[in-house]
Amino acid sequence: MYGRKGYQLVKDFASGEKGQLKPFNSKLFDETIEECEQNHSLMQSLMIKMQQEGLDVSNNRNADYYGTLVHHLSLIRNKRCLMAYVHNRAEIVRDLAWTVGLLLPQLPPEIQEKLTTLEKDYFKNHSSALKSYMGKAGIDLNVDMVPPKDPYIKVRVVGDIEQGIMMGDKATNFARHSMHFLKRTDAEPYIARGQMEELTG
Amino acid sequence: MFLFTARFSLTASETETFSDGLSVERKRVKPILMASNSDMGSADFESLSSTSDVELLKRAWRNEKAAPEILPYEGDLVERAKGQIELVEGNIEDYVENGMDPLVVSLYQMDLDRTQFLLRSYLRVRLLKIEKFMFHTLKSEEAESRLSEQEKVFATKCVADLAKHFEESVLIKLRESYRSVLKQSLISEEDDMVPEPHLDTFVVSRSNSHVTLNLYEEGESHQIVEMYRGDVYFIRYKVAKGAIESGKVDLI
Repeated sequence: MYGRKGYQLVKDFASGEKGQLKPFNSKLFDETIEECEQNHSLMQSLMIKMQQEGLDVSNNRNADYYGTLVHHLSLIRNKRCLMAYVHNRAEIVRDLAWTVGLLLPQLPPEIQEKLTTLEKDYFKNHSSALKSYMGKAGIDLNVDMVPPKDPYIKVRVVGDIEQGIMMGDKATNFARHSMHFLKRTDAEPYIARGQMEELTG
Repeated sequence: MFLFTARFSLTASETETFSDGLSVERKRVKPILMASNSDMGSADFESLSSTSDVELLKRAWRNEKAAPEILPYEGDLVERAKGQIELVEGNIEDYVENGMDPLVVSLYQMDLDRTQFLLRSYLRVRLLKIEKFMFHTLKSEEAESRLSEQEKVFATKCVADLAKHFEESVLIKLRESYRSVLKQSLISEEDDMVPEPHLDTFVVSRSNSHVTLNLYEEGESHQIVEMYRGDVYFIRYKVAKGAIESGKVDLI
């Protein structure tokens, strides 16, 4: 059935967990493109047939006219599905810039694996747009993601953090499993990258 | 909402810091005060406490968060807030150098953090809306006129990046007449692939003054609702839009 591939592609996206990426389904994606191509060539041949019969394509309402219409509608439906698939993935990619960090290497490898090369490029371009906005506005928007209740929070180091990061005027030692009492703004980037967790209660 | 209501006025110096914004705002609020003649005493107090820039910023932030579409940019307010944040930051440094009680300093710090969060969150919510409806934002003159200069630059770049992404991943593989980002195909007369904000969605609103709203658009049946000061309504955004922009109704 025409148009089913696109529908499956969108279903494939929708079946994933909200806000999380699945690997790009390039098999289904290419099949959908392939179907568009088929629709297009069938449409062309029907139009040529009508022209050969000396009929005006836009005014004649015969079987061939409705044939081309069906192909056209199937094609734009598939196009909408393809675009929706890419668009929704792009939305998640943009969210990554907000929630994880603006630099590609900051993204955890398991997320990077799921991005296509084009999506990685998009991430970089979009991050640079965000960065230039923040630079011009003179304000860093990637901290303070949750309303601050307390200027200091207790954190535990859960990932590997390189030695010798300066905070304020002091060198720090963030050994794994060590606990620290830090300024919220200092700790937030590490929490976002999963290298620290906040201890509550 | 305790979180953002704490406003510590421990010493005279802070009142000085904020007095600048305060005096500007007092003038702005007066006409509303006169209009609602009743109960001058409490209204006076309320309006004073609701006219500090922090309160105004909080209101702008709440409206922006709750509205489905982007609202006009509060440029002056943002600039004032930035200035005040810098001032307070400087003050705090001075306090630390002068050896003020660390507890008092941390109270100032907390207050500062909250204001900074408000400002950041306000700008962030706007950027997220721009990202979400980028094609619409640049297409509709009304939406575009509400952006700050920097936001316009950002929106333009956003659109360019996403359009490029679409072209490279999908459109290049389709036939010529189906390659538009904004249209389904060449025969579409209008741009029919542009996501737009849903203005028909419902919002919770509270009125600041007596407002009369027509619940339906022209052509539909006629029904008027009167909102008195302090009334809370669950209402279609489209209906309250004008009143929200003129500041008569706040979103909560």
